[in-house]
Amino acid sequence: MASSESKPAQTLTALARLGFSDLDATISRLDQLVSVVGDSGRSALASLERCANPDQALLCLIQLAELDKAKIKKLLSKEDSSLRLVRLLGASRFLADYLVRHVELLQLFEKPVSELPNRQVYDLSFSSGLKLNSSNFDAQREISTLRKIYRSNLLQIAMYDLGQNDQVNGLPTVAKALADLAGAALDAGLLFARTELVSSSEYGVFTAEEIANTRLAVIGMGKGGAGELNYISDVDVIYVGESSSTNLENERMLEVATKLATRLMRAMDVVNPEPALWQVDANLRPEGKAGALVRTLDSHLAYYAKWAQNWEFQALLKAKPIAGDLELGKRYYEAVQPLVWQSSNRENFVESVQAMRERVSANIPPDEVDRQIKLGAGGLRDIEFTVQLLQLVHGKNDIGVRAPDTISAIEQLAKAGYIGRAEAAEFSNHYKFLRLLEHRIQLTQLRRTHLMPIDASTQRAIARSINTNWTAQSLIEDWNKVKLEVRSLHQRIFYRPLLVAVSKSSDGFALSEEQVQQRLAALGFVDPKGAQIHIEALTSGLSRRAQIQRQLLPVLLQWFAEGTDPDSALLAFRRLSENLGESHWYLRMLRDSSGAAERMTVALSTSKLATSLLELIPEGAAWFEDVNEFLPQSLELLTQQSDALASRHQDLESLSKSIRHIRRRETLRIALGAVVGELTLSQVSKGLTDITQWYLSALASELIAKLAYNDEPVSKLLDFGIVAMGRFGGGELGFGSDADVMFVYDPKPGVPVAFAQKSAELIISEIRRLAKDQQLEFELDLGLRPEGKNGAIARSMDSYSAYYARWADIWENQALLRARIFYGSAKLKESFSKVVDNYRYPATFDAKSILEIRRIKARVENERLPQGADPKRHLKLGRGSLSDVEWLVQLLQLKHGNEHPSIRTAKTLEALEALVTEGIIEAHDARVLAEAWLLASRIRSAGVLWSNKRSDVLPTDRRQLEGMARILEYPRGSASSLEQDYLAHTRRSRMVFERLFFS
Amino acid sequence: MDKQRDFVLRTIEERNVKFVRLWFTDVAGTLKSVAIAPAEIENAFAEGIGFDGSAIEGLARSYEADMLAQPDPSTFQILPWRGEIDPTARMFCDITTPDGVPAAADPRNVLRRALAKAASMGFSFYIHPEIEFYLLKSSQIGPEGPIPVDKAGYFDNVPGGTAHDFRRRAVSMLEQLGISVEFSHHEGGPGQNEIDLRYADALTTADNIMTFRTVIKEVAIEQGVYATFMPKPFTEHPGSGMHTHMSLFEGDTNAFFDASGQYHLSKTAKSFIAGLLKHAGEITAVTNQYVNSYKRLWGGGEAPSFVCWGHNNRSALIRVPLYKPNKSQSARIEYRAIDSAANPYLSYALMLEAGLKGIQEGYELPPETEDNVWDLSDSERRAMGIQPLPQNLEHAIRKLEESELAAEVLGEQVYSYVLANKRREWSDYRAQVTPYELKTNLEVL
Repeated sequence: MASSESKPAQTLTALARLGFSDLDATISRLDQLVSVVGDSGRSALASLERCANPDQALLCLIQLAELDKAKIKKLLSKEDSSLRLVRLLGASRFLADYLVRHVELLQLFEKPVSELPNRQVYDLSFSSGLKLNSSNFDAQREISTLRKIYRSNLLQIAMYDLGQNDQVNGLPTVAKALADLAGAALDAGLLFARTELVSSSEYGVFTAEEIANTRLAVIGMGKGGAGELNYISDVDVIYVGESSSTNLENERMLEVATKLATRLMRAMDVVNPEPALWQVDANLRPEGKAGALVRTLDSHLAYYAKWAQNWEFQALLKAKPIAGDLELGKRYYEAVQPLVWQSSNRENFVESVQAMRERVSANIPPDEVDRQIKLGAGGLRDIEFTVQLLQLVHGKNDIGVRAPDTISAIEQLAKAGYIGRAEAAEFSNHYKFLRLLEHRIQLTQLRRTHLMPIDASTQRAIARSINTNWTAQSLIEDWNKVKLEVRSLHQRIFYRPLLVAVSKSSDGFALSEEQVQQRLAALGFVDPKGAQIHIEALTSGLSRRAQIQRQLLPVLLQWFAEGTDPDSALLAFRRLSENLGESHWYLRMLRDSSGAAERMTVALSTSKLATSLLELIPEGAAWFEDVNEFLPQSLELLTQQSDALASRHQDLESLSKSIRHIRRRETLRIALGAVVGELTLSQVSKGLTDITQWYLSALASELIAKLAYNDEPVSKLLDFGIVAMGRFGGGELGFGSDADVMFVYDPKPGVPVAFAQKSAELIISEIRRLAKDQQLEFELDLGLRPEGKNGAIARSMDSYSAYYARWADIWENQALLRARIFYGSAKLKESFSKVVDNYRYPATFDAKSILEIRRIKARVENERLPQGADPKRHLKLGRGSLSDVEWLVQLLQLKHGNEHPSIRTAKTLEALEALVTEGIIEAHDARVLAEAWLLASRIRSAGVLWSNKRSDVLPTDRRQLEGMARILEYPRGSASSLEQDYLAHTRRSRMVFERLFFS
Repeated sequence: MDKQRDFVLRTIEERNVKFVRLWFTDVAGTLKSVAIAPAEIENAFAEGIGFDGSAIEGLARSYEADMLAQPDPSTFQILPWRGEIDPTARMFCDITTPDGVPAAADPRNVLRRALAKAASMGFSFYIHPEIEFYLLKSSQIGPEGPIPVDKAGYFDNVPGGTAHDFRRRAVSMLEQLGISVEFSHHEGGPGQNEIDLRYADALTTADNIMTFRTVIKEVAIEQGVYATFMPKPFTEHPGSGMHTHMSLFEGDTNAFFDASGQYHLSKTAKSFIAGLLKHAGEITAVTNQYVNSYKRLWGGGEAPSFVCWGHNNRSALIRVPLYKPNKSQSARIEYRAIDSAANPYLSYALMLEAGLKGIQEGYELPPETEDNVWDLSDSERRAMGIQPLPQNLEHAIRKLEESELAAEVLGEQVYSYVLANKRREWSDYRAQVTPYELKTNLEVL
């Protein structure tokens, strides 16, 4: 103590420099060590300085020295054995504790491990150490021995690993040895299982002969099969059983084999004084957890021939026999290998592989995303995925790229010219670095983890275990750099080379045209040649646009490939890009905002309506930068714009032109909002209804201000009103819906009705003329007015009153349920509403009227449906679709509206809710109806968005269905589910309808 | 797959096959066939053969005209009855839409879907059917109705009889087509025969049944007689059923077997039976799809008219047969309603999923029925909770219309095609004046 007090500062600084953290304690600990082992204790400092965690190593040294003074003294006295021991103690808390419990293993440190043994040596080590004998069998003892053998070998692997000069490049050797050791352990475990089964009287149902005749092969999957195992992770396996005697039937053999397999797994993970090694995981077997543990070879093959999913073939890429009956294992291997390479011929192969990966990343808990070395963005999985994807795409025709392990696979892909040399080297290095990190983290506690520890001191130890000059901070910085590069490497390796013309890297690497097309086709481009031409056009030249597009296109291609129709999306992008040319903001947006570029690709690849409107209004592309731009503009804002226009334009024609432009622009906004934004159906309907309402109002106001009849301004002659009807009245417009309206007017005092009528007709014909739009169709439907197609196109308020009082058919009353007057003076609006309320919510609604409505509905069902249309697929008039639900709601409103004011609404869904609240229909029935109505409405809109064509029929074309399904936020490949959902919903809603409407 | 394809192409060359018939089945269960030349086969494997879906009743409507038939190379066989002069082969096809998605209206796909569902629960589904049919002198109807080839009965050996030769020839032809026959014998009615196919997975069995019907018809033509699978051609003789034995396997073990269970039935088997019983009424319009089917179901004798199960009860809908205790592999149950004219793909899909539903929802198995249910009175049956199966096609249609299970299993499209076909049949039948009415009414009224 005296000496330390005399020059503490210097000593403490020195200790800190050596890497200790707990400086005060260290001084006394060093003294303690010296007191036990003498001077050699002091020389340990030189080794401690070079280990991952000097504090931990020192503590363990003291503990060990107290247990075996002589041995520690001996080990510390030599520089190399001292370094081996201390490095291990510093890097692995688990193995250090293990040594404390098994001091006899200290002797292993006397000799260096200059190279790692092969599989035969490990096998020998188990067979010589484990004396299995059925007459004197003690399961617990044998399991302990087996695990001890495993651990002493593991200790030597760690010793070798930590002593390497180049740990990064030594990684494959270590990973291989770990896989070999695990394989040998499984073999020993199988032998154990056989002996246990033979010796056990408790399970004495099987004869020794039956057990001997049961062949069992253990197939390694994943890293175990590929020979690139971690220090600790689940060992994935599949079991294959076979009977080697005609006396043993398959069924019986499988019982034996299953017992063997479960006992083998137990040997690895059952509770025992010697801790468990790892889990043996057999869940990759056919049918997963639900499937039989052991199957015959034929049964495996039958499964793969008939049921297996794409990802299961991908998993087979790494299947290799690793233990048990190797001959049987080899036959399995040879039989399944061809399946792997045929798998990329399967339908939607790339899609399903990608979907699998998305599922994996979606399953990571959010607080772990940034700490994940394996599954996070830029993690090991990203590299493995890219490599396997390339192997599956190109390995079909090229047997030279089929290596199961990642590092060899990268080498092969580079050698065969599918990846550039430079990228390959970079990829390989990153992979090894990440694996090394994973190894070091796992080594500390020998726990199965892929997470970077949170606390700085553990991070520091990890950093130092790789390089004693590293700090926690530098480790994290390096790791983040690697993550960033890995993330971009997928694009650089898979997509970038598709830009053949410009992708020649410095070392001259380029894919052949054929290889490019292979890759494009695998991505789902139907016309890979055409795609290649577009890519060339977009990326060649010296313009700024071409430059930016060269940077951007690899990412865009990936997004296009994820869409429904990559070919036309790429073409649309090319057109838009040529259209916008060198616009400054466009290029800046593409370059700076990745969100914008992604949203644009989604829009281009899912909506022809949005694409064609974008061609008319390219400046709409600016909205991609901010999703809030996709929110519909309010009615007030729209009116302000048209008012402002009116004050600037004197000329009716040019004014209406601007108004039409605004309508197109706002429709585009909502279309984009529906496709890439998050607009709900009700937001879309409201938005479109507002636009239509504003459009007609703006035109009407202008016309009334400017038109004259008989030299008299029309504003002096009449009070003009527009009534929204049908879906327009209900605020339920979709893309491509007609606008149902009626017109009403009141002559100004003293004006003859005939004058007012003529003026109204003039206004209406002008509205119809100006509202017409070649580029975005606008259809005004006056069919719901009194007397339908034969009626006058406009009526005075008095004429309406008289008509409804005397002549109206029941269907006309029904149509009034959704009448909503939105334009006209307050007085006109009020008197109109008052009149129609009498007829749509009648005080009494007699049985005759009910019968009449039912009869009309039955007739309409037969007559209105277009010729040849399938009633089950007609979205509007079909079985259980829109009109069924609406007619039912309307019938109930006519019946009960007078008594229950709360059900008086023009909106179908609101009405259904109110009908439930009033107890008029059951909640369950209302839900069935609402779901069918909602789905039919959404499908109708999705159809227009997708194809830019109006159709009231659920398409049968797969691609079209798929596109619509994607707009409706179904996952990929859901064409059939959408169809199935629609048919099922409407079938159920029809049943409710028939029950409630016709009885 | 590629190996099988290569085998097919090689065999076509080696055996000098002149035509390949592509077989598929429409919703009604009728076998359809397109013949193509060997030169087109390679292309058929790669891209499928386009055909007009609307030409096939039930399978698709005119708007779905474009369909592809994708031959399944594992079903390739040379047809034995065409002789060696112009060898003809056949393959079953899966029907897809032009973009390669399985067609919703393809019955084979309906069964595939059901089997995939079973696979996801860890099961494979095995089946062996006992197919009954009548041999008639010709398809001409005599004054007393159809004329059978003999007057023998159950298991009778008819010396020098047509039926005997017929069965021998048919069995050998089936074996040539790779279909193993378990058993064949003369059945109860005159001219009635039964041939039992060896157990196989459900898809293979369904294919085999389709082949079987063709073989039987072909052999009959060859021997100058006529074979019919009509469910009930004679009022006074038993109908032709297709009792079907079913079992579920988990990997290579029989999931219906439990050494400690009653009749060695496992919990899985019990729930499966419960599921079938509960949904039997809903699926009858498919397993017994013709107006005539109900004449068999309600014709007395051993017909399973009531929803119940039993061990060795020959009147029960589901029978648990005896098997040797050390043969756990052969644990199975027998569904006795289905008849020889059913569409096997749709029927087996429904039977399987009805059972799976029982497993999934853990239905309780009602008590066994030991009595002959025909001997009980209506009120006794009601007291015991034994429901009748639908009494006629119309009743069955109504049950089917209410079935969410059937809609889900068949898929909305096949479901509505089946309903439409059956409704049409019922309304046609209802309009008929039958010989029975003429006989009983004409002279009296």
